[in-house]
Parts: sequence; C-alpha cells; structure tokens
Amino acid sequence: MTEKIAVLMGGRSLEREVSLKSGERVFSALQDLGYRALALDVTPELVRTLRSERPDAVYIALHGKYGEDGTIQELLEFLGIPYTGPGVTASSLAWDKAITKRLCVENDIPTPTWIALTADAFKEMGAATALDLVPGVVGEFPLAVKPAEQGSGLGLAKVDSADTLAEALLAALSYGDKALVEKWVEGTVLAVSVLDGPEGPKALPPVEIVAHSGLFDFQAMYTRGETDYFAPARLGEDAIERAVGIAVQLHTLLGCRDVSRTDMVIADDGTPWVLEVNTSPGMTETSLLPMAAEAAGIGFPELADSLVKAALLRLK
Amino acid sequence: MGTARVVFDRWEGRYATRMRAVRSSAVRDLFAAASRPDVISFSGGMPDVARVPASAVAQATHETAYDEGTVALQYGSSEGRPQLRQTIVELMAETGVRVQLDDIVVTAGAQQGLDLLAKIFLDPGDVVITEGPTYVGALQAFSAYQPTILSIEMDADGMRMDLLEEELRRLGPRGAKFIYTIPNFQNPAGVTLTPERRRRLIELSQEYDIPLVEDDPYGRLRFEGGHVKPLRALDEDVIYLGTFSKIFAPGLRLGWMIAPRPIRAKVLLAKQAADLCGSAFAQVTAERYFGGTKWRKTLQNLTAAYSERRDAMLAALAEHFPSEAHWTMPSGGFFVWVTLPSFFDATTMLAEAVERGVTFTPGDAFYADGRGRNSMRLAFCYAEPERIHEGIARLAEVIEDRMALYRAFIAAGAISGEVCA
Repeated sequence: MTEKIAVLMGGRSLEREVSLKSGERVFSALQDLGYRALALDVTPELVRTLRSERPDAVYIALHGKYGEDGTIQELLEFLGIPYTGPGVTASSLAWDKAITKRLCVENDIPTPTWIALTADAFKEMGAATALDLVPGVVGEFPLAVKPAEQGSGLGLAKVDSADTLAEALLAALSYGDKALVEKWVEGTVLAVSVLDGPEGPKALPPVEIVAHSGLFDFQAMYTRGETDYFAPARLGEDAIERAVGIAVQLHTLLGCRDVSRTDMVIADDGTPWVLEVNTSPGMTETSLLPMAAEAAGIGFPELADSLVKAALLRLK
Repeated sequence: MGTARVVFDRWEGRYATRMRAVRSSAVRDLFAAASRPDVISFSGGMPDVARVPASAVAQATHETAYDEGTVALQYGSSEGRPQLRQTIVELMAETGVRVQLDDIVVTAGAQQGLDLLAKIFLDPGDVVITEGPTYVGALQAFSAYQPTILSIEMDADGMRMDLLEEELRRLGPRGAKFIYTIPNFQNPAGVTLTPERRRRLIELSQEYDIPLVEDDPYGRLRFEGGHVKPLRALDEDVIYLGTFSKIFAPGLRLGWMIAPRPIRAKVLLAKQAADLCGSAFAQVTAERYFGGTKWRKTLQNLTAAYSERRDAMLAALAEHFPSEAHWTMPSGGFFVWVTLPSFFDATTMLAEAVERGVTFTPGDAFYADGRGRNSMRLAFCYAEPERIHEGIARLAEVIEDRMALYRAFIAAGAISGEVCA
C-alpha cells in the first residue's frame, strides 16, 4: 500500500489552529498505516503543490470557512482528486445552520425555534429596533446566539436577559455575516457521528457532553479539564435510538457521504432537538468523532484509514 | 518554488508550567496566517534595515575579521568588550547621561536586559508596574517569572503620575519590585513622558523606594521638537536599557544595560547562566561601524524615512478614519496608537481586516489583563508611504463596516454609546 494521501489542514479559517491539530493526528496515523502522507497547509501555493505532488486522494482536515463550506470540495472536484467526507452540495447546505434547521422543520425533525439576521438587516433595515420582539418570536430567555456559519463554538453565547442580547449579536456578527438567535434548550448535549458502511449510513455511539461552564464553546472544547465526555451517553435506550435515527436521517437528507456529526440536545421529555450538522468533524484529541469511534471499538488509525479508503474508491 | 508543507511540534505537552503564562492570545494565534504577500502589515515594529548601507556593514565586518579575527571569534567577558562600552559611554553622553565604562553591561538586545532583570528581581506573585498599554516583549519577558503586572494609564504626556501615585500609595513602600517605563515615543502608544513628569516619576520612585527601569529604544529617532533627557540623567539609580537595534540593526542583537553596581553584579551572574558572554564578533563589528562618522548620516536618513512615514500615516488616518476614532501624534519612534469608542471590539475585527488585506496589532496584546480591546497599534516604520496610505484606506473600510453595525445598534437603543452622524 503506497497510495499518496495529502492531508489538508490549516488555511485561513478562524479554526486554523484546531485544523492543524486534527491534521497532525491524521497525518501521523496515515504515516503509521504505511501511506505516503503529505501534510499541506492551505496557502496560495496549494494548487501548485497538489499538481506537482499528484496525491491519490486528499484527506480534508480543514474546519470552518473554505474547508467545510464547499469551497475546497469544489476545487478538488475541478482538479479531479478524490477527497474524504461529504461533497459540495452537502457541505454547502450543512455549513449554514439556518438551512439545516429549515430542512429539519420540513421533515418534522425537532430543532429549537430560531431567527436568523444578517449584518445588512441591521445596517440597512434597522433590525436592531425589533430586538424587543425576539423573546415573543423565539422564546423567553435564556437564548443562544451564534454565527450561522462557523464551527468550534466560536462567537457562541448564552444570553440570559435582554440586556446582553445586542452585545452577543454584535460579537456573533464579527465572525460572519449572519447571526442566529435560538431558543436555549436545557438537557443533555449529544453529538451523534454517522459513518457510511457497506449497508449504508450507521451511527456510532452518541457522545454526551458536559461542559463545566454550562456552555460548550471554543474555550470548553479545547481546554483540557473544562468538559467531561461520556461515550456512550448516559441515556435510556429509547432516547439513544431516537437520537441515532435522527442523525442518520439528516445524514441522508443532506446527502452526506463517508461521515457527518449531528449535534443535538435531548430535553428532559426525551425530545432530541437538532442544533447543527458538521461535515468535517474535528479529529483532535478532545474531538467527538474519534471519541465515538473509540466507544464503538474503532481506533483512530482505523477511523482515518476507513475515510481514506472510501475516498480512494472514488479514484477514477 | 513555494510549498504548502506543514511541520509539527511533537513535544507539545512536555513544557514547563511557567510557559503557559507566556502564551500569546488565542485570537492572535488564529491570525498567525496573515503572511500573504498582498497583506499590508502595520503589525510589526521592524526597522527599515535596507537603508543601512551594505558597504558600511561590509567594511565593519571586513575589519572585524581581518584586524581582530582572533578576538572576535573567541569568548569574551560577560560585561562586554571595553571598546564597545566606550562607544556606549559616548553615545550616552550625547543624550545627556554621564556614565563610566564599568556602569555598562552589553546585552543581546535590550530584550535580554528585560529578561535578566525579571530573572533577578521577580518571584511568582511579585508586583511589577508598567505603563498601560506597554511593550508586548516586556510583558512576555516578565510573565515567564509569574509576577502580577499592574498598568498605569497614559495620556498625551506619558504615564499619568496622579494614577501612579494612587497605586503606589495603595501598595506602600517597596510594594512593587520595579516600575517599567518607555519614556520616549512609547511602544505601543507613541507618546513621550514630559520633563515635569520625569522629575515626578523619579521623586515617586525614591519616595516609595521602588527602582525604575527605563527602556529607551527609540530616543534617538526624534522627528521634531527638542531632545528630552533620559531618566537616568536625573537619577543614577535608574536602570537604563539601550539598544543598537534602531540606530544600527537588530540583526546584531546588541543592547546594553546601565545599572547600579550591586544590581549589575546580579545581572552578570544571570547573564553568565544565559549565554556566558555576548557575541564578540557582533561587538567588534559595532565598534567599527560606530568608529567612523557615516553612521550619523545613516541614522539621519532612517529618521527622515520614519518621519515621512509617520506623516503619511497621520495624513491617511485624518483622511480615512471615522470621527469616532482618536489617535496619538508621535514625534518620533515607530507607532501610532488608535483608540476607538468603548463599545468597539478591535480584537474581533482583525479577522475581517486580514480578509481585506491589512493587519494591525489589537490593543489587548499590550495589556496583561485583557484590557485594550477597543484600541490598536499601527506601526508606520516599515511600509512605504503609498502602501501606508492604501493600508489605512483598507483598514478604514473595515472599521466603517463594523461601525455601521454599531451605529445601527446604538440608533436602535440596543447598545449604549455615542456616535457622530
């Protein structure tokens, strides 16, 4: 086995550092597996390097803008290099949380009530004068405020009262042009990873997330000791089954392939409320997909290997 | 041909705890990638070394190799070569400070002086007083020794003595290990401490028995106005840090410290542990470079270039920046400090700025406690005037874009703040 695999990481996204960690882990795993692995940063030299190195497949360890929004996928389609993970359409759809949520509503999948507001709605149309309507439309405080298109909990805030809503929106809008205000659902935070297998998509054991601060944001995600994880989750069989069913359903609805990760909150009454779907899940030491795989008896190298093999199968 | 290859740190997780405090901020890490060629950088305070004539450097190194090769290639004394210290004695005399050869220790840039002072003075939890904002390299050097850093606000006349006095009264005599100040064209604020305040600062330092550390990298880069005497000229107990980085080149890594004898003895012990002695080769080269008179002309050229760039930046700021922004008017040095309204977050704005092809250093880098988010440091020393103009125009667009959002929120009464129409 001497296939050459280029692991793409870094780039200019705000999640650059996380991506470098994901990439590093995948890179060494692939090397250990005997692949000719190549670690590539996403720079203006990327296409030139890809053309001269001619990898058999690309592992996309990018997170955030350009890596997860369909940009790199579209580029690799053009270059004719097979890559890991969902294609252009699924990536573009899942990148915008508001679109994923609409898809949920259309398919009777529970997702917390929300509104989405763009920077232009504030600048050009006076949307800030209607913030008093927010509790009536979305629900009473607390509310979650986050950028519609961003990962790793960047710009995420839990807003407890009307006093800090504007501030949270302004912060979210510095991470992107669209902000979501979403009803805060109290319950068990769950990440359900789905892998494509020979018999179609199959969910891994859900991972339960307990952030000590109560908010699973960038800080909680990437600081050791600030969050506890339970894999499998400490929930009843019925709740797990329902959560898993929804994750697989969304994986299919969005047209994902190879892998996806659906984040949700299981309310006390057992309702699984979908927050978002990730098409390029983190692969760092504290990331959820490798944790779920581990719980299913799939080691990290095996996980990376299976994703690469799926991409290699698409080699023309 | 370039490549996109990445290299990793495989020792991560094995470093000492003290290094945690030295880490740069998460947000600044996020923008470590801003090295695209199309980006106009106002981030780094890099001297324009291209204006140092290669012929003068070649001459000096040639002499070093041929005339003093056996000395230049050998270990030297920890204090530094007497010949170079003689050069420093003369340079100091020109700024109004009379010192003897023995008062001086040659260091690897003034930065080593900061590290050595922190090493000999600071235990974890000790108090250090600095200007707020202050030099990020000083914060880094001090942080490794885990002190509590208190910062004193400045205005156009430098560190505010009323606020310093208030803090000192609270801390009491010897309540801090030292007071660190950059009195000339401060980094990052660009302001200069007035002669009156210099006298007051000395009084307070004496009254509360707290040593002063005077860091003076930019003192000779004055564009207009009269020279102001260093603190060391007013009090022999002041610890003075000088550098060749701005009057010659940072590549030589040469600076110096002037300190009272007991402190010097401790510094020498610490320096021996750090590097035994400084580079003899660099020292001889500097002696030769400053031996002639050409360096004066070069320094004049450099200062003229910086002055022109300062003018370009101030003009561009006046033309492009919104009326809500305020900035300092440096009469020397490398930096302008811009303050935006209190509701404005310049740190999160950096993402958008990088996308538009311009970078700056967000203000919170220059505070130990996370303040300064509504401000930024703009370095005018490195970019050519046309690039400065273009960069400021780009930055103004980003600010205007964010400001429009803030204005909309303020107009709607959603956040408090005052904006100009």
